[in-house]
Amino acid sequence: MPSARTLAIVIRSVEVFESSSIVTVFTRELGKAAALAKGARRLKSPFEGGLDLLSVSDIVLLPRASEALDLLTESAPVERFDTLRRDLAALYAGFHIAQLLSDLTDVHDPHPRLFDAARVTLRRLGEGDLRIRRVARFELFCLRELGLMPSLDTCSHCGRAVVNEGDRVGFAVALGGIVCHECRPGLAQVSLLPRESVAAMRALASPGNDWRNLEEQGRALGWARETIGHVLSHILGRRPRFRPLAGV
Amino acid sequence: MPRSGYRTAVDRLCAALGRLPGIGAKSAERLAHHLLKCTEAEAFELADAIREVKSRIRHCQNCCHLTEAEEPLCDICRDPLRDQTTICVVEQSRDLLTLEKSAAFRGLYHVLLGRLSPLSGIGPDSLSIDTLVERVSAGTIQEVVLATNPNLEGDGTALLIAERLAQFPIRVTRLARGLASGGTLEFANRDMLADAFVGRRPV
Ligand SMILES: [Zn+2]
Ligand SMILES: [Zn+2]
Repeated sequence: MPSARTLAIVIRSVEVFESSSIVTVFTRELGKAAALAKGARRLKSPFEGGLDLLSVSDIVLLPRASEALDLLTESAPVERFDTLRRDLAALYAGFHIAQLLSDLTDVHDPHPRLFDAARVTLRRLGEGDLRIRRVARFELFCLRELGLMPSLDTCSHCGRAVVNEGDRVGFAVALGGIVCHECRPGLAQVSLLPRESVAAMRALASPGNDWRNLEEQGRALGWARETIGHVLSHILGRRPRFRPLAGV
Repeated sequence: MPRSGYRTAVDRLCAALGRLPGIGAKSAERLAHHLLKCTEAEAFELADAIREVKSRIRHCQNCCHLTEAEEPLCDICRDPLRDQTTICVVEQSRDLLTLEKSAAFRGLYHVLLGRLSPLSGIGPDSLSIDTLVERVSAGTIQEVVLATNPNLEGDGTALLIAERLAQFPIRVTRLARGLASGGTLEFANRDMLADAFVGRRPV
């Protein structure tokens, strides 16, 4: 494969040998990649300090076909999110985003829209009054982009549209979304969510500005956050570690 | 098909070497074959060194630096000539040794045993921050210098420690950063210049 130039967010960096690093990057054009950056920790390297965690860099990557690491040959810093250095909750939210990009995406499977969403979310984490909603919005965007979005409109068991079924809606994490009242009795592990919380998830998952009207500390958002957390834990096989530290 | 003893012993060695940082499967195999070829004395010297370092080296009870002594405290913590009012916080013992070589600092140290790192699974509880807070709450410390690395993980770790120490009437400082001594403005990148402006001081 020829070398490729792309924007990238560094999601992990491990020091190896005398002065090199193995960086895991989520790139806009090539998706996730693990690459060797030779001499990256030297004062004079071809990477110009452009390889800091959760910063955006313009990189040149030489992808390898086999199991071997890609090679990172150049990088220059493009954007650094200084809020993450001043606000601990914002930093933890950034860590959580890095973890999702790392654990949910596949190597060399590009998702440019997810890259853009991650970048915008990282840029705005300093807005403390919107942070929880922005992170939840990113989580749902990520799930949708990767084909893992829980169903919020049709029964995830029979496929029927679920409308006006009372104040509580059944939700089955293992099935991947809401379940109608006819399917509900026969199914194991269905939780009952207040209708507002499903509406809150819909708002968070939609374009437009309805999500801004949700109360940051409100009950509907609280339920929605908890449910998204269950969905993520189910997919990852464990609880996302930095999510609670970020207050999400 | 059952494997011969020879294969499994070599496999075990390869697997163990492959778990070392920066060693992939290929390098592990190369190292294993080197060990098979070299003299018994040479191979056992390595094995003994590993055994000795693991059984004799401990973390200092006070600062978490590595110590070989039978004493609970390391050489630096036992040295009465060092400034007992200042603690320099570093991520790992290697950083402490680098600072010691420069002789730029004559106070005490605190080794965190890592830094906040999302994908290496290192969260706040994995670091020796509680021990540091205990040392500060004893009352003699007047300044804590945060010398974690000047990157996001290091900065985040410094931020976390600064928050934990905010309750004490002490000075908490961070090592200066920005332009490299002996360099020129022309070759400094944007982040270095931004840092240098934030860290400017009266002359
Ligand atoms: Zn149904
Ligand atoms: Zn000590």
